[in-house]
Amino acid sequence: YRGEEEIQKELCALFPSAAVGETQSSVSAAEDLQTYSEREWKGNTTKSLLIRKGYEAIASEFNLRKVRGDNYCALRAVLFQVLSQSKQLPAWLHDSDISKWPKEMHSDQDFITEWQFPFETSKSKVQHLEQCLELLTNKWQEAVQSKSLEERERMCQQVFRGHDEEYELLEALKFLMLRTAVQLHSDMEKGSDVPEFCWLLFARDSSKCPKTFLTNHLRHVGFSGGLEQVEMCLLGYSLQETIRVVRLYKCDTEEFITYYPNDHKNASPLCLLTEDDRHYNVLFMSFRWFQYLLVLSSVVIILIV
Amino acid sequence: QQRIEIHKLRDGDNLILGFSIGGGIDQDPSQNPFSEDKTDKGIYVTRVSKGGPAEVAGLRMGDKIMQVNGWDMTMVTHDQARKKLTKKNEDVVRLLVTRKSLENAVRQSMMQH
Repeated sequence: YRGEEEIQKELCALFPSAAVGETQSSVSAAEDLQTYSEREWKGNTTKSLLIRKGYEAIASEFNLRKVRGDNYCALRAVLFQVLSQSKQLPAWLHDSDISKWPKEMHSDQDFITEWQFPFETSKSKVQHLEQCLELLTNKWQEAVQSKSLEERERMCQQVFRGHDEEYELLEALKFLMLRTAVQLHSDMEKGSDVPEFCWLLFARDSSKCPKTFLTNHLRHVGFSGGLEQVEMCLLGYSLQETIRVVRLYKCDTEEFITYYPNDHKNASPLCLLTEDDRHYNVLFMSFRWFQYLLVLSSVVIILIV
Repeated sequence: QQRIEIHKLRDGDNLILGFSIGGGIDQDPSQNPFSEDKTDKGIYVTRVSKGGPAEVAGLRMGDKIMQVNGWDMTMVTHDQARKKLTKKNEDVVRLLVTRKSLENAVRQSMMQH
């Protein structure tokens, strides 16, 4: 394909071209929540009022970054938060060579033959998953080693362009979910302690075991379906992160802010937003809020001194 | 001639097609690398995004667009062409295109330099 791009550039160097509905960034620039809410939810239906109330409740704390709205959006939003917020490589990534995991799984169970990729590949499925996991390791390392916010943002914009690289990272996340599901299911069968969401995950008729979880649910994620809430728990648990979601349609209930998983809350959760548990956007801590924290910490320092 | 049906991809507010066009009655046709006749002021596809709706539908770089949803594209300006393709209320565009083999276009272009 690169050959074709070069040919195109050379051929069209003197022939002006206009893009007709080109793909844009998978994650948009930050915008104000209040403005967004008033623009998108005009009118006075019960629903509009509820959603706007939800937005208003968090508008001073966060800014919004819109995420490309396909069936990968939950994974994409989480991946974006991981790459833009992670302070260090997590222990599980640091301590193992995760690119060895597909082969290990394949020698144990015949799952990977069921895998579906959103792009063509000349490699075997195992090899391609190895490549995806290696890419995830590299990008995560690159992210935490960024020397400035600008550098980090530039790196994220390079990834989130809607090209193969982005989808390889998203498929890597799906693999991690599968591997974790296999481990948890095995623990459950042995009678060991497992997080609460496991019972729900495997209680569904369509996913009583990891194999059916893969064939009926996971391998369709990104294609014909997104992530169910119990699968959001699995995603958070697989990454050893907590995903904190503001669920606007649950405003005025105790589910307005939900943690996936909710039993072990990380000090710095990955913050997402959803209006309907279907489409997820990213919440970025607002600069105003950051300024407020800065002022607060300065005051505390002054008082101590 | 080929009929290409592109299903635009909805991304929030945007409708994605995934290609670029060159040409038009207000443009200089002599620089068009894809046309056989260098006075041809038609609309040509200059780039197709990999994996985008246009590629999936079978559109290729170098295709000449003759019609869009029944509208003639052989005598339009560059901007008129773009507008016909990006109507917000249309989820599908049906193109009539003619296609020369790309190898011919490249070879022809190389011969001219």
